[in-house]
This record gives sequence, C-alpha cells and structure tokens, in this order.
Amino acid sequence: MNDALILDGVSKRYSAHTAVDDLSLAVPTGTIYGILGPNGAGKSTTLRMVMNIIARDAGRISLLGADPAAGRGVLRRVGFLPEERGIYRKMKVTDVIVFFAELKGMERRAARASASEWLDRMGLGDWKQAKVEMLSKGMQQKVQFIATVIHDPELLILDEPQSGLDPVNQEVLRDTMLDARDRGKTVIFSTHNMEQAEQLCEHVCIIAQGRKVLDGRLRDVQRENVGNRWYVEFDGGSDQVSRFMRGETRYGAVAPHGEGWRVEMEPAADPRPLMAALAALDVPVVRFERERKSLHEIFIDRVSGAVTPQRRPEVAHV
Amino acid sequence: MSELMTIVRREFLERVRSRSFVLSTFLFPLLMGGLFGILSRMGQGGGERHLVIVDQAPAGVGQTVQQVLSTPAPPTGGDDANSYRIERVARPLEQVRGELIRRVQAKEIDGWLYLPANVVQSGEAQYRARNVADFSVVGDLTRAVTRGVQAARLQTSGIAPAQVAALVQPAKLSTAAITRKGEEGGDAKQTFWLAYIVGLLTYMMILIYGMNVLRSVLEEKTNKIAEVIVSSMNASHLMLGKILGVGSVALLQVGIWAGLTVATSRSGTLAARFHIPESMMKSASVPPATLAVTLAFFVLGFFLYSAVYAALGAAVNSEQEAQQFQIFAILPLVLPVLFLVRIVGDPLGRVATVLGLIPFTAPVTMAMRLATAPVPPAQIAASLGLLAVTVLAVAWIAGKIYRVGILSTGKKPSLAELGQWLRTA
Repeated sequence: MNDALILDGVSKRYSAHTAVDDLSLAVPTGTIYGILGPNGAGKSTTLRMVMNIIARDAGRISLLGADPAAGRGVLRRVGFLPEERGIYRKMKVTDVIVFFAELKGMERRAARASASEWLDRMGLGDWKQAKVEMLSKGMQQKVQFIATVIHDPELLILDEPQSGLDPVNQEVLRDTMLDARDRGKTVIFSTHNMEQAEQLCEHVCIIAQGRKVLDGRLRDVQRENVGNRWYVEFDGGSDQVSRFMRGETRYGAVAPHGEGWRVEMEPAADPRPLMAALAALDVPVVRFERERKSLHEIFIDRVSGAVTPQRRPEVAHV
Repeated sequence: MSELMTIVRREFLERVRSRSFVLSTFLFPLLMGGLFGILSRMGQGGGERHLVIVDQAPAGVGQTVQQVLSTPAPPTGGDDANSYRIERVARPLEQVRGELIRRVQAKEIDGWLYLPANVVQSGEAQYRARNVADFSVVGDLTRAVTRGVQAARLQTSGIAPAQVAALVQPAKLSTAAITRKGEEGGDAKQTFWLAYIVGLLTYMMILIYGMNVLRSVLEEKTNKIAEVIVSSMNASHLMLGKILGVGSVALLQVGIWAGLTVATSRSGTLAARFHIPESMMKSASVPPATLAVTLAFFVLGFFLYSAVYAALGAAVNSEQEAQQFQIFAILPLVLPVLFLVRIVGDPLGRVATVLGLIPFTAPVTMAMRLATAPVPPAQIAASLGLLAVTVLAVAWIAGKIYRVGILSTGKKPSLAELGQWLRTA
C-alpha cells in the first residue's frame, strides 16, 4: 500500500446539484498533494467526505488503508484543518492545543511539552498563557494549525491552509509542510492559489464543477500541458529585430516579453519555419526555447471553459 | 471513554475558571439576601398608612375602629403587619369628600374609611384610597369595622360594655406543616419561602445551564470545531460530555450555595446582616431524603432540557435563530412557576399532581411540592420513572438531530429536513 489516500468514483449529490462527480485520485504516501480548483469546485466537499464529516453517495475511499466511514480509528491518525477557522476563544492557547491533542489520544503531559515546543517554533512563545481571543486572526490560525499537527499524524489534510496568512507566516506554514513530508508524512491541501501549489506540490489534482480536470505528478502535468509557446532572444540589433518581429504574423501572436519576444503558436503548428526565418536574420539568436506553462496557466486553460463563478450552493445539508 | 472525560473536563474547567462563574456564585446569594432583606423590611414596616375615618356611625363604633387600627399588631402577627395613623372627622361625607380627594391626590393621606349612619344595621362601610389592591390593608379594615360593628350590636342587645371587648376578641391561628415523620415542621411562611426558593432555583438553574449547553454547541458548530472533534470521537459522546461537564458546574454552584446557606444559618450575625428572615433560615433544615429526591429531579430535569437545548443548538446557526424556537423549550419549564401559588397552596391537589407527573414540568413542580408537603412516595416514584424514561427518549432523538446538525451548514432546517436528519442519523 503506497497510497495514503485513494478515492475511487466518489460522488456527492445534493438535491439541486452535484458537488462532487465520480472523482478518483490517489495520493502517494510521503508526498505533498495539492487539490486545486476554483471556488465551489468541490474541494472542501471532497475533503469533508474523506474525513467522514459528510457521507458520500457513491464510490470508495481508502484512507491510510481503511474506509473512514467504517470506524473512527483511522481518523485519529489524520490531522484535519477545516476551511473555516475557529477555536475556543475563551481558552488559553496552550489549553486549546492540549485539548485537541488529548482527543487524539495524546497523554496530557506529553501534549503540554509538545505544545510548548510548537508555540516557540511558530513564534508564539510569549502567548502560551494568553486567551485565544487576545490573539490576532493570523496567530489564532497558527494555534489551530498546531492543534492540527500536535499529535504528529501520518496524514495532514489541510483545507485552504494558506488563506488569511501573511507572507511570513505562509513561509512558516510551507516549511512545516515540507518538514512533515521530509519525515515521511503525507500532506494533502486544497487551494486556489496556483503559485503556492507549484512551489509545494509534487502531485496535483485539478477539479472544477465537481469533476476532475487532470491529476498526476506536477512535473508530468507541466510536461503534458506544455503548449506551443516559444521564447526568442537576440544578441543586440534591436531595431532590425523589432521591425521583423512586429511585422511577423505567420507563425502566431508575437509580443515583447522580458529581454526578448514571445511567440504564441497554434497548438499543432511546427516551430521549424519560425526557426528558419530567425536564422535568416542578421542578428544572432541567443535563446530559442519552448516556454513551460505555469500551473496557473494550465489551470486557466483547462478550467476556464468549465467554470461559472460562485457555484457554491446556498443550502448544503448533509 | 477518555475522549468523553476530555470533553467533560474542558466544559467544566472553562466555566469554573471564568470570572462570570465566580461572580455569579458569590454575588447571587448576596443579591438574594439583599432582596429578601428589602422585602422583609418593606413587609415589616408595611408602611404607615394615614387614613381618615369619616364617622357618621352611632357613638362608640368609630372609636372602636380607630382603636383597633391604631393598636400595634402583636409581634407574632408576622413581618407584614401594617401600622395606621388615624384621623377621625364626624362631618357628613358630602361636606368633606372634595377636601379628602384633594388630600389623597396631594398624598397627604392614603385614603378614607366611611362609616355611614346605618353601619351597625347594614354592616357596610366604604374604603376609598389611592391603592385598594393591598389585601392586607383591606383585611385590616374589614376586621376593624367588623369589631366596631359587633361591639355596637352586642351593646344594643344588652351586654355590658365591659364584657363586649372580651367577647369580640379575635382568635389567632398558628400554622405548622406535618412532615413525613409526623412531626410538626415549619409554619406556612417558612414552607412557602422554601418552596418558592427551591422551585425558582431549579427553574433558573435548568434554564441558565441549559442555555450554556446551547451556546457551547453553537460555538463548536459555527467555528467548525465540531468537524475536528467528531473526527476523533463519537458525536453522541461529545453531546453527553458537554451535558455532563456543564451539569457538574451547575451542581458545584448549587453545592456552594447550599454550603453558604448552612454556614449562614449557623451564624446568626450573618443572617441578621443580610436581613434574611428567620423563617428562611429554619427552612434550611430539610430531611436528607427529601434533599436527595429534589436533587434527583433537578439532575434529571437538567438532562432533559439540556438534551433539548443541545439539539436546538445543533439545528440552528446563530443565537438569534435559536431564540425563535426557545419559547417552546422554555414554556413547559416556566409553567410551574406560573402556577406557583396553586402548587404551593395545594401541593397535593390536582394541578400540582398533574404538573408533577408530566416529565417536562415535573422537575420544577416536584421541587416545590417536595418542599411544602409529604408527597406520596408512589407519586414521587412514578414522576421520577416517567421523567427518566423521557430523558432517555429525548436524549435519543436529540442525539440524532445533534449528530447531523453540528456538521450541517447553510440555512436552518425545515421540519421536513429535521425528519430526514432523524432518519439518516
């Protein structure tokens, strides 16, 4: 068993619409896995089904080798951070963390020691005995994150973990996720921020309108979705080059980009005629390369047609 | 099991450590003490009432009435004896009425008592005052006029004036309740106070701590803490843990109050300082068996209502939404308080018996009844049994609503949706 989580044909329907439609994916153990999608794509619904917070209507889920709906045992080995944040406001910071640790079966003294370490590490060392309501929103979020990871779960499921954090704290969170991965844990998180996903994930799954658009290793996804966009850079000769490039329409849309030029060709077009034309110029070409698409662009390409914004349903009972 | 204890511990500590718990635990008795102090003082004074007797009656009647009213009540007469300052005028009412009305309006006098010329025959007098709803004053005046009229009648039938006073001397009634052991217990006033306090306390504690459960459920639901918790434990256990945790706080508070009451009753000076009536202090000595049964009703009542409140908290999304439904959850609880006088006045009567058997009204009703009268053990057993069965049934239904409700999002459910929750859970 090399997958921490397997979804096989999982669906969730509400009376008016289908929130998740026949979704299948596999999360390899020891990786960071991103579930990406626009608002209302079904990311949270999927994670909530994995955590058995809501019941699925169809499909199979294997979480750390067990069906989460069958028993609560496996869920204790998971750390879950829900999308909407909140912790007991009237409690002291340390007490909140210890409370959640105890629920996950940790011994109180060990939990206290561990909570103290985590708080120091997250820069909240001065707030251990403060009441949660005294903390800023970002700090509260960090406390909640600590409460999620305090029992050192095998699998972390984080729903939009970065939202509401400033860049410094996003970095802290990133480091903890990477650290967990390095210690052999699996991290699954959802986001609609593609840049973060690109920095963090080894595997991604993009969903839109409850359906999977693509999934796989990020590297493979980027290779498969490479597109037909070329970057050209010349060694000087700006006037001549400029005149040539601006007049050129045969190969695709041309636009200045950085130090050079970007040529967006039709997906099936052959780049060789362009190369030949460039070679015929007086000015030497120093770079001619196929540009990799960012995850953001892949996402927009694949998803834009499928998305009507804010599809989130008003009513979403179990 | 350990998760359950974790929940209980958190709910208990969060409340007990809060400032509001400390404040309410120690301020409430002070407030109650102060309130009773004020009440008993007001009762004692009864306020002096300034009345004018418009006396057109035959000689002697008006004097007797004035004398009866002016004589201070005997000390055993109770805390609420009134005192009177009497002015007597012998002019016809028509002549003085305008002036009297003016004086009442100017608050120089409280009212006037008109004794017409034929009062001895007709036995009818008139009382006009700013406030005629004070039954104790009306009672005093009725007694006084009766004595004046009776004396006059006796005299006309030839009895010597010296004998008349002795003949019309009113009788006094001393009251004492018969306890289960057949001994004489506290007097009417004591039992009333005790029933009043115990009933009201049961009502307040169930309401306040039931609301606590509701708020706690709502907090976890709106914060999505519930989602995290139920991934580590059974939702029913979470609900049970909450109720047990909050319930222990309520018991602790009642325990502290009981301890304070015992301590205060031992030390007379404290009681005196807070002007707590002596009768209240005496009533603190209740047989342990009665105390245990009262406590059982309180605990079961709390379970019953907190289960309802937990389900309510899980079904709605905000306290505002909860308030719309709360009336249904409070009404049966408040009913015995509305019937307080009926229940305490006739604790073995039909109203008290019926309300004592209906599980939703039983806790408060039985608390009042147990404090006033020896309720038949069969009734106590039946009431406790019905209540216990209802607690189980309600907890079962509430548990289902709770389990689905705390994880649901979006608008509040319709009745049909609630039905669906019950089936799916």
